[in-house]
Amino acid sequence: MSVLSNIRAKLQNGERLGFDDGVALFHEPDLLALGQLANELREARHGDRTFFNKNMRVEVTNVCVASCLFCSFAKLEAHMPDAHTMSLEEAWKELSDRMDDPPSEIHVVNGLHPGLPFEYYEELLRGYKRIKPDVHLKCYTAVEIHFFAQLYKMSVREVLERLRAAGLDSLPGGGAEIFDPEVRKKISDDKATADEYLDVHRIAHSMGMKTNTTMLFGHIETYEHRVDHILRVRTLQDETGGFQAFIPLAFHPDGNGMKNLPAPTAVDDLRTFAVSRILLDNVPHIKAFWVSSGPDVAQIALRFGCDDIDGTIVHETIYHSAGSGVPQGLTYEHLVRLIQEAGRVPVERDTFYNVVKEFPKASVGEAAFKVRDRKAKKHLAVVEPVRSLGGKEIAG
Amino acid sequence: MSAEKQDQLRVAGVRYLNARPLWEDLKSDPRIALSLEIPREVQRMLAEDEADVALMPVAGAATLGDVFFVPNMAIAARGPVQSVLLVSEVPLEKLEEVALDLSSRTSVVLAKLILAHRNIRVRFTDLDPTTARTPQEMREAVAPVVRGTRGAVIIGDPALAIADAFPYRLDLAEAWQEWKGLPFVFAAWCTRNPNFAASDVARLQAAKTAGLALRDALAEEHAAAHSLSPAILARYLHESIRYELGDAEIQGLTAFFDEAYRAGLLPKTEVRFTAPLANRPLTPVPLETLLGRAAAGERLSVAEGERLLAEASLFELGLAADEVRKRKHPHGVVTYIVDRNVNYTNVCTTSCRFCAFYRPVGHPEGYVLSREVLGQKLQEVVDAGGVQILLQGGLNPELPLTWYEDLFRWMKAEYKLGLHALSPEEIIHISELENISTAEVLERLHAAGLDSVPGGGAEILVDRVRRRIAKTKCSSEAWLGVMRTAHRMGLRSSATMMYGTTETARERVLHLAKIRDLQDETGGFTAFFCWDFQYENGVRIEPGDTGTHLYLRQQALARLMLDNVDHIGASWVTQGPDVGQVALRFGADDFGSVMFEENVVSSAGTTFGINAAGMETRIREAGFKSARRNVRYDWLTPPL
Repeated sequence: MSVLSNIRAKLQNGERLGFDDGVALFHEPDLLALGQLANELREARHGDRTFFNKNMRVEVTNVCVASCLFCSFAKLEAHMPDAHTMSLEEAWKELSDRMDDPPSEIHVVNGLHPGLPFEYYEELLRGYKRIKPDVHLKCYTAVEIHFFAQLYKMSVREVLERLRAAGLDSLPGGGAEIFDPEVRKKISDDKATADEYLDVHRIAHSMGMKTNTTMLFGHIETYEHRVDHILRVRTLQDETGGFQAFIPLAFHPDGNGMKNLPAPTAVDDLRTFAVSRILLDNVPHIKAFWVSSGPDVAQIALRFGCDDIDGTIVHETIYHSAGSGVPQGLTYEHLVRLIQEAGRVPVERDTFYNVVKEFPKASVGEAAFKVRDRKAKKHLAVVEPVRSLGGKEIAG
Repeated sequence: MSAEKQDQLRVAGVRYLNARPLWEDLKSDPRIALSLEIPREVQRMLAEDEADVALMPVAGAATLGDVFFVPNMAIAARGPVQSVLLVSEVPLEKLEEVALDLSSRTSVVLAKLILAHRNIRVRFTDLDPTTARTPQEMREAVAPVVRGTRGAVIIGDPALAIADAFPYRLDLAEAWQEWKGLPFVFAAWCTRNPNFAASDVARLQAAKTAGLALRDALAEEHAAAHSLSPAILARYLHESIRYELGDAEIQGLTAFFDEAYRAGLLPKTEVRFTAPLANRPLTPVPLETLLGRAAAGERLSVAEGERLLAEASLFELGLAADEVRKRKHPHGVVTYIVDRNVNYTNVCTTSCRFCAFYRPVGHPEGYVLSREVLGQKLQEVVDAGGVQILLQGGLNPELPLTWYEDLFRWMKAEYKLGLHALSPEEIIHISELENISTAEVLERLHAAGLDSVPGGGAEILVDRVRRRIAKTKCSSEAWLGVMRTAHRMGLRSSATMMYGTTETARERVLHLAKIRDLQDETGGFTAFFCWDFQYENGVRIEPGDTGTHLYLRQQALARLMLDNVDHIGASWVTQGPDVGQVALRFGADDFGSVMFEENVVSSAGTTFGINAAGMETRIREAGFKSARRNVRYDWLTPPL
């Protein structure tokens, strides 16, 4: 019996998959058969519906006391020339400038700045709510929350309560990296441990907050580490039910402490999405974060277990400082088209996956929106085209 | 267009003598727009909706798959037909080679079936259809071909005129009758419209009745024009050719389709009729059955390909294509080539609407690369272990054939690199510039060092599309013609498709069928690559169907349709290395080429670049071994 048919049989019998099953899935050579299984599970949950939102990314400071090897964004000290911390007015302006077409969600992720007062973070949230009272604030990763608790000498619950009082609605999933202690020690020694990270989420969930969680894959970890990571998420979810989405994030090597490592390839991305969907029987959504995998692979991922492609984003700097060549934002129409081209039904959602707007399914290749500027499609940073002659010169 | 013209029935007839009784009476009918063409063109017109009804060679009908026969009319034979003969100097069982006009598909399939049935194994080679007009000329044209263990299938006038010149002859329709006890149907009126009007059927029937009465006159006229015997021709039209499509003929046609399907020569085909004949209620094959047949490598019709593209899921197409890939390339190796893409000039007279590269003659940004610049580029390729130059350019009216010949000789003398150069459009351009045939251009370039012809500029090989995206581009028939000529002189080429402009899904499948048809004739295509139209600033058409899913589906379908093309390439250069890598699991066994920095193709403003190590990593992670190749897809390195 092949690995996949064995696993299919277990799923049909309602048997839960274990660690060995997960590792076997990662080793499955037939990528399409693996994808097909993940796709069936995805369609059983969501049919063709594929979620996206109108969101905005803000990174208010890149000053960071942690020195994660995979990071090309932060690890700066406040006096360094590239260090930058936004004033509250600067940060708020990002929203007030967009009020003609406002985001429904603001996603704030920062470096671990040792010198800002806690009130800065509270006031940031209050200011956003003043500008747009119904905006959803998904701010500060569990790693930041844990750091705040240490720095400002409060309990995690206290930190969360004060932030919630200031307007915090949910937590983003960043900072999970890889939970395995040995790997985590090598790549990310001086920030929240796996248990600390998961504890923050546990407490948030117990307060009735929803959160997301992530996994940074494709660096020095093994398949076993990935499975261990996914199963730890599953275990906490059994306990709390508070995770909305699991987001596998591909490691990008440029300009960071692991720049000699190759980035994971697209096949590895798809495999990881698929295995995540198959193993995580209790997390409703698997997200293909298009900034991480690129819009093209994210589009394919919509058949490899993913039902969410993140949002318009507008301005992302963390992946971009690690060499991501994708654009910093995608237009709304563009996201709809990406989803329709994958043969799916685009659903604009709010942060809690309530439907804002549902679009029709287009037949393959007939997206409702025709994006005129194809530069926006493949979205790489603008490079003067050298290619020529239509398709001619690339003929094999 | 006048109202009257719109009401005309567009009829495409085969222009040969034996078809004349079916259409002669239509010539003077103002309600009919009659086109008289060779069989291949008749097939094209029906396929591309330029004809409402066409006298289709039955192999062409099977290729399309979605045609309906008009009742009770055909070109058929019960017993000897006289005009399709296998002739030789030795008894059949001694034959080793048979030359025949490989573009005459129905006869080719019939010859293959009959020889296989008689356990005679031969090699089939191409015989140019003769342009000889008198029996003497025909004899001179055919006689040198038929030598020793090499026979030939001769068709039409030559068969009628010179059959007695050879000691051994086999009438293929007679052989069919002996084998099956059934008539053989060569061609019949076909339409793609299942509701073809009863009045139009009646008009064709009336034309047949009138035409049959004209047979003696037609025989005399043709005999006079071609110095043939009127008596032989009259007997041919009265006795050899049968114009009925009765029960026996339908059984014969069904038997032919079944045998050809079993032999892998034609798609599975059912004989279906237009009204007023009642068809059995059509039960479409379940999609799973069709996918199973596709994965098993069976030949698919255009209609079946279209259905797969519309209905099969991404995984179904991918898994079926991967099955075919596995069977064709069981070693699990994906190849790539180290070469360089050089555009020798950007001056071009074509002004394709999708091209942002060309400059008109006299434009200040126009260039022709100097020997010095070229030499530097070539040396870099040699130094980097490259094996080939892909040389293409605009249609520059200031470069004569001798410029290319000198260039090629110099390149071959100075650098040991394969020369993969000049797409069909450029060959046609040079032939027009020099006022010589494309065959002569190719022969001279071949002599000067040309190794193979790139398949660029194919775009979509359907003229409706070509006219819309590039008015002055060569016709699809001209593009295929250059490839036919090149293949016949032993040059190999690739085949390509650029989709996503203004074509329909059906037209993409027709494109694949045309490549498959020509490949049946020549076997000269090494590989197929496709990509979507890459939008850039400055281009003047709207992008159409694009997206990664469509690319993967389209590439997988190409693997399923092109059962006679060895290699399918994943076009990472246009799709990006990520999608390119995933595409390896959708039927591809080649990853294209490692390109050099300044020739890196930018995909819609994107510049992708990967080196050999990057290619090998991606190939390995997709689950394959990698090997470098040359233009003929020979492995140059052991698979790793």
